[in-house]
Amino acid sequence: MNFFRGVMGGQPSGPQPTGGETVQRLCDRVASSTLLEDRRDAVRALKALSKKYRLEVGTQAMAHLIHILQTDRSDSEILGYALDTLYNIICNEEEEEQDMLASPSIPVSGKRRNLPVPEDNAQKQEEDLGVLFTEKFLKDPESVMLLLTLLEEFDFHVRWPGVKLLTALLKNQCSQVQGVILVSPMGVSRLMDLLADSREVIRNDGLLLLQQLSKGNAAIQKIVAFENAFERLLDIITEEGSSDGGIVVEDCLLLLLNLLKNNSSNQNFFKEGSYIQRMKPWFEVGDDNSGWSAQKVTNLHLMLQLVRVMVSPGNSPGASSSCQKSMYQCGLLQQLCTILMATGVPADILTETINTVSEVIRGSQINQDYFASVNAPSNPPRPAIVVLLMSMVNERQPFVLRCAVLYCFQCFLYKNQKGQGEIVATLLPSTIDANSISAGQLLCGGLFSADSLSNWCAAVALAHALQDNLTQKEQLLRVQLATSLGKPPVSLLQQCTNILSQGSKVQTRVGLLMLLCTWINNCPIAVTHFLHNQENVPFLTGQISENLGEDERLVQGLCALLLGICIYYNDNSLENYTKEKLKQLIEKRIGKENFVEKLGFVAKHELYSRAAQKPQPTFPSPEQMLFDHEFTKLVKELEGVITKAVHKSSEEEKKEEEVKKTLEQHDSIVTQYKDLIRDQDAQIQELKQQVSTLSLNNEQMQAQITQQQSQIQQHKDQYNLLKLKLGKDPQGLSSQGDGAQVNGLNTEEMSQLREEVEELRRQQTLLNTQLSDKDTLINTLKSGAVVVQTVEAGTESSANRELLSELEVLMSRVQSQGSEISQLQAERQELIRRAEATASAAPPSSGSSADATEVSDLESRLAAQTAETERLKEECRGLREGCAGLEQQLASAQSTVAVEQTEKAKLQQEVQESKKEQDDLLMLLADQDQKILSLKQKLKDLGESIDEDEEDDLDSRDQFDEDEDEEEDNDD
Amino acid sequence: MAYAYLFKYIIIGDTGVGKSCLLLQFTDKRFQPVHDLTIGVEFGARMITIDGKQIKLQIWDTAGQESFRSITRSYYRGAAGALLVYDITRRDTFNHLTTWLEDARQHSNSNMVIMLIGNKSDLESRREVKKEEGEAFAREHGLIFMETSAKTASNVEEAFINTAKEIYEKIQEGVFDINNEANGIKIGPQHAATNSTLSGSQGGQQAGGGCC
Repeated sequence: MNFFRGVMGGQPSGPQPTGGETVQRLCDRVASSTLLEDRRDAVRALKALSKKYRLEVGTQAMAHLIHILQTDRSDSEILGYALDTLYNIICNEEEEEQDMLASPSIPVSGKRRNLPVPEDNAQKQEEDLGVLFTEKFLKDPESVMLLLTLLEEFDFHVRWPGVKLLTALLKNQCSQVQGVILVSPMGVSRLMDLLADSREVIRNDGLLLLQQLSKGNAAIQKIVAFENAFERLLDIITEEGSSDGGIVVEDCLLLLLNLLKNNSSNQNFFKEGSYIQRMKPWFEVGDDNSGWSAQKVTNLHLMLQLVRVMVSPGNSPGASSSCQKSMYQCGLLQQLCTILMATGVPADILTETINTVSEVIRGSQINQDYFASVNAPSNPPRPAIVVLLMSMVNERQPFVLRCAVLYCFQCFLYKNQKGQGEIVATLLPSTIDANSISAGQLLCGGLFSADSLSNWCAAVALAHALQDNLTQKEQLLRVQLATSLGKPPVSLLQQCTNILSQGSKVQTRVGLLMLLCTWINNCPIAVTHFLHNQENVPFLTGQISENLGEDERLVQGLCALLLGICIYYNDNSLENYTKEKLKQLIEKRIGKENFVEKLGFVAKHELYSRAAQKPQPTFPSPEQMLFDHEFTKLVKELEGVITKAVHKSSEEEKKEEEVKKTLEQHDSIVTQYKDLIRDQDAQIQELKQQVSTLSLNNEQMQAQITQQQSQIQQHKDQYNLLKLKLGKDPQGLSSQGDGAQVNGLNTEEMSQLREEVEELRRQQTLLNTQLSDKDTLINTLKSGAVVVQTVEAGTESSANRELLSELEVLMSRVQSQGSEISQLQAERQELIRRAEATASAAPPSSGSSADATEVSDLESRLAAQTAETERLKEECRGLREGCAGLEQQLASAQSTVAVEQTEKAKLQQEVQESKKEQDDLLMLLADQDQKILSLKQKLKDLGESIDEDEEDDLDSRDQFDEDEDEEEDNDD
Repeated sequence: MAYAYLFKYIIIGDTGVGKSCLLLQFTDKRFQPVHDLTIGVEFGARMITIDGKQIKLQIWDTAGQESFRSITRSYYRGAAGALLVYDITRRDTFNHLTTWLEDARQHSNSNMVIMLIGNKSDLESRREVKKEEGEAFAREHGLIFMETSAKTASNVEEAFINTAKEIYEKIQEGVFDINNEANGIKIGPQHAATNSTLSGSQGGQQAGGGCC
């Protein structure tokens, strides 16, 4: 309050008193007027004065205005004025006002520009005022609640100033307002509804409000996300034209960044909501360099940052890697690489794209592999890595771009043994390709160029190709360089130390020393190589022991580190430079304390902790480019152990060695036992597995056996049935064949059996057809025979009946004719007698002549009848002859029948035989199954490992073959 | 990752009843024995299948501590389902259910499906709340009930899936307005609403049968 009075006291003269009085009067009116119109006018007047007399209005009117907000809820006009007034007194920054009051109807306040006080001071005062009034407003948390309920008012004149007021409050007293909103029921949710407002001004200011609201408050960020913020914001971005959109897109992106930065829960939600996929179209910017407005650059920049937030090296490894995976899967990485290789992209966008690609591929093998496969659209196509490295070692490229390329290269090699191998391979003599520029060539070029920045970058890049990779450290020792014509080639290691001793720029030497430290660290062979050069150790001891200026301290420290590594990873293979001898050298030439102090220079360097913070190489200026992130880790790891190694006396070391040895012995014993246990454990596991598979097998087998048994039973039944049926139905055999086919579990055996059965069946069908042929033949013959028989024996055949009836008719005719004949004979006898009687009784008169005619007549009749009798007799004889012929035919047919019958019997016997054979086979099958069962049983009893049926099958098949052989023998 | 529906869940209940463990068991299929206090809210997600349809569950696991109560209230409105969890070995967590339920009913939309969960069913020897009591409470307040163990994973899947089935059924009955995302339900991007209602009605009945 002291300050308050001071401010008030500081303006005793001038027009203010009138202003103050006016404000006072207006406040009274606001408080006492009963008519709404009066109150409204008074508030409107206050609003008009609120900019000019901000202090007065703020101190005197605030309570009244808040009261108005409570009591005059029904009149949106007065609410609007009150909110505007409150906004004017609470809102601080000119800039902000300009932003807020962008609509042309409201004039921009020029007040501050008229003030004579220096800008800083004025701004400070204003800010103090704003904070002061904000605190006053917040004294009662109810006011904020009230404001929140007012925001539900749909009226533009209430909602809009309400949004602006709340934004201003948040700007001045962020955490306090956040706290109030957080505890008010549905507070955040209501504010989220602003994004759905159809009036763009409110939606856009709602974005600004949410930006302020979500600043640094994870709880609010999560609620905002829960209320579908991602969906809405991404929709707005799309509606507004993505990167081509205006400031609204920028605001949306800023809000998204707020929601996602350092908020793993929201990041997870963003990923799970498949929103990463929706970022991909943002980067489809194409090759046309027509539209790169400042806004577009800003938007793209923020978009790239959003991608980076999801895969930042600071995130939990699991979260980052799953985001990296989906970025590759949805094609986002590919899209970014397209921008990387496109032409006409502004340098800062290109730089940020490189940084983004770096983090998208960092430590993710698939993404790194993809990146290695990207080619620049040049002619001939070059790998993107090579093109980027060319920029890194090019002095004319912007510094930040070169840093970005280095970062990209580092990320490409991070946890990527394959990539490291590929890079080192481009330096090896066997794989070198003279025709095209390789990554290795560029790095060597950079390492030995005149530009110290290139030296440093190339050295660090090469060091990353060796990081945690013993193979590549050893491989790189093979690299030879042709320095100049006529001179013998020099090894890369040698060349590095040569340059080091030539005394170049600090940056170059620091880079080379970092490379050497990384190279020989944890690699005794490289240490030996390094020590093998007689000049190296004297150079290092010289550097460390000399009393040099500030600038050289870092180099001295790094030299001490290098020498320390030479001691720590020494395998004592060089007699002159054993661990012991090097230690003595330090003691004599440098002094232990001095050495440790110099070693300490590295980690104490002011730039060291900066580099240790994050993997990305960022430096305010090129001169400060001294430390690499991975190298700081190495220093942290080695400093302690080297200090210890140097301090230890030889006796101590010996003791330690002994202790170590015994420990090692113990360790080895323990490890031996551990191994044993592990082996046994593995064995147990294996056996368990075996047991389980065996028991499973057993079950299967048993199931199989029962199945087979049931099948066999079935077959037996069928067989019995067939046996019964066989006489009538020889076809039944084939169904048995089918049955056997079903039983296909002992496949090999079965197939053989099946084949045989098939053959048998074929034979059978052949026989059957023959048989049926024969049968039909027999039948025809039989029927023939029957015809004959019926003719003779009078059986049913209709033809026979006809013949018979004909015969009967004929016979009856013969008989009737015979009787007629006898009648006629009797008649003649009588006539003759009568004639004799008449002849004797009467003279030969007319009567006798009549008698004579009569006699002749009779005589002629008799002759005719005799002739007829003769004819009939003839006919009878013919018929009898036909009969005889038929009888003969019958006899011959009967003989054929007999022949056929014998033949049939023979065939039946044959069928019987084949049946028997099949019966035998089936018996055999049953035997086999029995055998399988017994074998299984045996196996089970023995608990032996027999894993497959095949073995069984093999056995049984062998047996079966033997059986068959026997059979064949028998047949023979 | 195409889905037919997306449901938002919240998990509520006293501190230390195993809300985060239930979520971890459901999403990652693992159990973390150390109690790591949830600050505010944590998010988890998983895909499930109901009636042959892919359904994405987005789950917000809330802090049980009283001090976070006001924050967690913000999550009721937008949720389609809530798992209300108590600890069968601590009677007080059961006694607080009424408060939780009132809070939930007050702030959520009326159709929110609430599943009552008695967690830590593996600790039978330390049981303080009988299963029958939980069942009775659920019956009385119209909730679905289940006893789970986040440690042994017993009934954990069922708890989340049965809740989803209930919501799914309500959708088929037309109780939920699926076009209003504030209800915590969203239709999948390529899923036509009409065919889903047609083909889903039978499945809903089936699911209902399974629940009761």
